[in-house]
Amino acid sequence: MTKPKVASVWLEACAGCHMSFLDMDERLVDLFSRVEITATPISDIKVIPEVTVGVIEGGLGNEEELHIAKDLREKCKILIAWGDCAVFGGINCMRNFIKPEDMLREAYTDTASTVNPTGVLPHVDIPALLPEAIPVDRAVKVDVYVPGCPPDADTIAYVFNEILEGRIPKVPSPMMRYD
Amino acid sequence: MSETKIKMFIDGKECVGVKGDTILEVAKKNDITSIPTLCWMKGLTSIGACRMCVVEPEGGGRMLTACTSPAEEGLRISTATERLVAYRRQVLELLFAGRNHFCMFCSQSGDCELQTLAIEHGMDSVRYPYLYAPFENDTTDARIQADHNRCILCQRCVRTCSEKVGACTLGMKKRGWSMTIEADFGSTIGQSDTCVGCGACAQACPTGTITLRDLVYRGRRKDCDAVVDTVCPICSMGCSIKAYVRTGSIVRVEGTNLEGPDGGQLCAEGRFSLPHSSERPRVVRPMIRTGSTFREASWEEALELVGSKLKATRKSGKTGALISSLATDEELAAFAGFRDAAGIRTSAYSDDSLRGFREGVEPFVKQGVRPFTAAHNILKADRVILVEADPQKILPIAASYVRVAVLHRGAELVHVGKNATPFPGITDLEAQTLQDSKVEEKLRCAQKPVFILGPSVLSSALAVTKVLNFAIEHRAFFEDGIGVVPLLGESNVLGAMNALGDQGGWLEEEQDFLYVYSTGLVPESAKALNAMSRSGFTAIQTPFLTPPLSNLADVLLPAPAWFEREGHFFTLEGERRTLSKIMDPDPGQKGFTEILQTICEKAGVKMTDSSAAPFENVFSSKISADLAKQVQVREV
Repeated sequence: MTKPKVASVWLEACAGCHMSFLDMDERLVDLFSRVEITATPISDIKVIPEVTVGVIEGGLGNEEELHIAKDLREKCKILIAWGDCAVFGGINCMRNFIKPEDMLREAYTDTASTVNPTGVLPHVDIPALLPEAIPVDRAVKVDVYVPGCPPDADTIAYVFNEILEGRIPKVPSPMMRYD
Repeated sequence: MSETKIKMFIDGKECVGVKGDTILEVAKKNDITSIPTLCWMKGLTSIGACRMCVVEPEGGGRMLTACTSPAEEGLRISTATERLVAYRRQVLELLFAGRNHFCMFCSQSGDCELQTLAIEHGMDSVRYPYLYAPFENDTTDARIQADHNRCILCQRCVRTCSEKVGACTLGMKKRGWSMTIEADFGSTIGQSDTCVGCGACAQACPTGTITLRDLVYRGRRKDCDAVVDTVCPICSMGCSIKAYVRTGSIVRVEGTNLEGPDGGQLCAEGRFSLPHSSERPRVVRPMIRTGSTFREASWEEALELVGSKLKATRKSGKTGALISSLATDEELAAFAGFRDAAGIRTSAYSDDSLRGFREGVEPFVKQGVRPFTAAHNILKADRVILVEADPQKILPIAASYVRVAVLHRGAELVHVGKNATPFPGITDLEAQTLQDSKVEEKLRCAQKPVFILGPSVLSSALAVTKVLNFAIEHRAFFEDGIGVVPLLGESNVLGAMNALGDQGGWLEEEQDFLYVYSTGLVPESAKALNAMSRSGFTAIQTPFLTPPLSNLADVLLPAPAWFEREGHFFTLEGERRTLSKIMDPDPGQKGFTEILQTICEKAGVKMTDSSAAPFENVFSSKISADLAKQVQVREV
């Protein structure tokens, strides 16, 4: 039987969750013998094929991220949300207290440390911002939630092992963290 | 009052409680731990605001909040059905969605009851859209800050501030999801007129809404190396505290007496200065003065010098020894033994108020009656009479009792004295003297008056006797003594009175030899410092390097700090309490008794083992207080 395929994407987040995944250390050797890694930030392959398991790290803050999340949902059977940003929205949601245009102005022109005499703002060449940054499950159905900032390597390993055993896991309370 | 027993079943287990208990109280008495709580807190009125403690009758039916629903005979309750757990999780998700919780950078993460409950209930995501409403932070106070993003509206802080501290600073403003806590109807914590800065609201807060700046990121409770139950050593209330130790520092202290009269309060001094004390510079070696500086010496050399000085001056009649009133009973007993062996005159630091109080109460002690009552009896009084007293300055917890007695128990407050009342807004009468006819009028119908005596009264034996006569005339009697609360500020002042008796007055004379034992927690009085500077030879034993005290010594000896000692204190709460050792002292540190014995040995006298004066002298009375009689006073 062919190995199940896994793809992961790095959306609005810091890559800490993928770093935690790499913290599985030697357990990765065993995992790679049982699954086929396809598109991930680790392999740097960006085209998402049909996969069994899709993983999203990070929330959704712009149109591209929304598109990628929907694309991955379409192409995978089981979708995992990794980390507080994907599960709860996380630190990205701090921008939701003000309007997107005010946020951009603050970041690109108004802060004291910014040198931008002509007041250039990102626009046509950058994906448009969503009105609010949102967790993944606001846009697509999520099957497995793994909160934590970042989640522990043990928790990530647990989730993969459960899926390989044919179960859809829920992170048990003793293992769960939000910080 | 007889208690009617009731029997009910919780999750099939037979539980016994009494009529008037809530379901939650019965569950707790029977060790059932499956009812979660969030807005409930021991010692506070229950309000059922958070809906976490919902239970349901067996077989379904309407959900009840366990903290407010009375237990009834034969009631059968389930606490952990699928429906209940789902409901609780829903509540938690709504709490997370309604405010802005960022656990990943919250200073309270890991020490937050909301987070703990959410994890226990398996909340791995939130189904509801987040509101992202902006909430302000209140950072106007130097020690206490409030981040309304984390608030779950449990009102524990509001109830603590009202029911325990009596300041009634905190309240709620706005409606619905916009509700926030506020101070003084629209002010902030730092700008509040009524806030006493005790930090009880932060201790009560289950999340990180109200926090103490000192504690932020200093470690979660569960990360601490040790947690020790002890008492606050600073004032004579002797509040029960829990001290958290981490990497050699006390990082946090909390009041623990949640169900007692003080409700687990600490004053600002106890809550904020005790943790810092473990980081103060220490005296680590014996030091001997050489000109204007010190050199390190061995214990042997230092004690030899002190002993030889004592030997040379012992017969002059100009030798003295001073001890802090924060010393334990055991240390005071050793000190009394030192006095007897060396023929030295002794005094506690707080001698002035001690002497007046001691002489003033003597005629009543001889009657076999206890001439004062426990401070918490202020809560049972129907008239509180301040006699030249400002409790907030001396015993802040007693001030809380006054406020709670007036605001929640209907007591009337009378202030007698030349200054303005320390409790504006809640004082019913201000008078210049106790003999004022208006005071007489207030006391005529009083069932349980209590008199709180300030330092200027306590320093005068005549004034103390007069007030006690006045109290007896107006039948100020409590179960444990006459209804008088002396504001004796230093922690074991009653123990010092018990152990050392009255030897005051010599401090103003020139001394040839002076031995000082300081605990370093309260500043020395100008009188004591003058005595040290004028003495021909001064030996000072103190834990901390604190000018000007440590600069006045000819020999400076290390002492264990309060967190390295253990022993007993007499407290104004009417009981003897135990100071526990929190951290081990330096291995080179010598015990107090050992030091005194060595000094006596070097001085050529023998110090016998001395036992503490019996504590019954302080707390027991031979006859009931209401048999006390007024005594004649001789006006001078």
